[in-house]
Amino acid sequence: MAAAALARGGFGLGRPGWRAKADIVRTVFVARIKIIARYKGAIFMESLIPIVFAAMPVLLGTTVAAQQGEDPGAVFCDTLLRASPTCTTNYKLYMLIGAATFSVVSLMLWLIGYWVRREQETGTLESLYLAPARRFWVLAGVTAYAFVRAMIAFVLAILLGSLLFQVNPFERGIPLALLFLAIGFLPLWGLSFLFGAFILKIKEADSVIQVLQWVLAFLMGVFYPITLLPPLLRATAGLFPPTVVTDGVRASLLDIDFFYGSVYGSLAVLFAMAIVMPLLGYQAFGFTERRLKRREGVGQY
Amino acid sequence: MSKKKIVEFSRYPIAFLALFVQIFLIIAMFLFASLAFTPEGTPASEQRALGAVVVYGFIIGLFLSFTLWEIGFSIREEQTRGTLESLYLSPASKVSSLVARVFAILLWSGGLSVVAILFVGGVVGGLPVANAGLALVVLLFSISGFLGIGFMFAGVTIKLKETAQLLVNGLQFFFFIFSAQFFPFAALRQVHPGIVDGVSKWLPVSYSVDVFRSLLIGAAEPELGLGWGIEILIVVAFGLVSPVVGYLIYKRLEASARREGTLGEY
Repeated sequence: MAAAALARGGFGLGRPGWRAKADIVRTVFVARIKIIARYKGAIFMESLIPIVFAAMPVLLGTTVAAQQGEDPGAVFCDTLLRASPTCTTNYKLYMLIGAATFSVVSLMLWLIGYWVRREQETGTLESLYLAPARRFWVLAGVTAYAFVRAMIAFVLAILLGSLLFQVNPFERGIPLALLFLAIGFLPLWGLSFLFGAFILKIKEADSVIQVLQWVLAFLMGVFYPITLLPPLLRATAGLFPPTVVTDGVRASLLDIDFFYGSVYGSLAVLFAMAIVMPLLGYQAFGFTERRLKRREGVGQY
Repeated sequence: MSKKKIVEFSRYPIAFLALFVQIFLIIAMFLFASLAFTPEGTPASEQRALGAVVVYGFIIGLFLSFTLWEIGFSIREEQTRGTLESLYLSPASKVSSLVARVFAILLWSGGLSVVAILFVGGVVGGLPVANAGLALVVLLFSISGFLGIGFMFAGVTIKLKETAQLLVNGLQFFFFIFSAQFFPFAALRQVHPGIVDGVSKWLPVSYSVDVFRSLLIGAAEPELGLGWGIEILIVVAFGLVSPVVGYLIYKRLEASARREGTLGEY
């Protein structure tokens, strides 16, 4: 209690400056990296999972089209043409991008959700609240680590998957695809905060993460163009930042239409999400924290 | 132990519901994926056949994944909580303890499978359900075989600790692909005939998927081409031999951990 009062008071004149705040982010980031470095196979497995994920619809789609004596690429292109003026026959790369982007979203949610849950279970979350550091900087360190780990998995998955599926992701649109990923990090960050708040409140991390990642996969159109969804679901899907990121990366690399009509439209929507989501997420996290502190405390699990 | 697991399950209603929703979402995603490759004007009967391939393969996948995850994860949990050593000092049968860990989830998977069939049937306008009795027998032998793999992984979890989870993850995806759980074996043959002949045909799980699926669809012959008699025999042998072999491997790994004093180490 004394420590909490001291921390609230900002340690008299000793408020942490920018250098100290950056140091918190760095320390948390390095600590998480050190922990994951102990599990050598984890990163490799995380890169393989999107490839397996992409392989399943590719194999399924190939059979479906072949049964009708059609070329899978041509049928896939026809499906895209039903809702937009451009299409691609490169369905393998389409699936690979979807699965790799999904792995980024999924990893971010798992890593943040599990971090909160682990700290709760091991009893260190309360101690963290007594430390003279704002949660924002601690969370920034954790999310930065989650993003770096997710991006390593993304890049490895795209590279290995491209070799396996014999597709070339480097033909066009790399800078634009990277721009979508970079801007997309901010709304994902906000989404992770929202998610962390939710875990803090309801505690059942495993089930919530699992179901939410499939909801996202469904709405993101990991295995299919979201134009196949009924109108209401399609509109809802368009409001999810991961959908816009996946669509943006796909449209950049495959030269197909953007969900919001043009590259500017999709970038503008993603920019808006990049501003709104982190604010919303952090507010929700702060609100949940305050409520929990007033009631049962953050350590209860 | 089974009762304890069921009581534990009932205390987490969100987890219960989440599992249910998750299954529907996965199936819906695969149905939409197949829709993206379905040419316009494809007869409804072919869409139904495809729905059946996906959902029946998925049911086998569901039982396999839950068996692999549940046994290993539950051992890992006991390790982390520090209760594994005490449990092994009790005079309770180890094999009962292992089976009891998956009992609740297998029961739940059975319920999920029925609802999955109804759901996909509703979406595609009915699924073929031929030879249901024999398919059920095949499913039971398959589950017995999966338990054997689960026992083996329980031992591997004691030995490898956290890394075993990665291994389970990898194995699960390996079976997804090479046992053609979400697509016909013909798809693997299209990629390379050697995949089916060189890998799939050597996996007992592939025969579980093939026989179960082909029986329910009412196919003239199973897809792997060994004929009904031989393929059913492989599944039965898998169901009988796998638990024994799995348990022996488990006992060996457990004994080694006891000798080294690493049973409770995590």
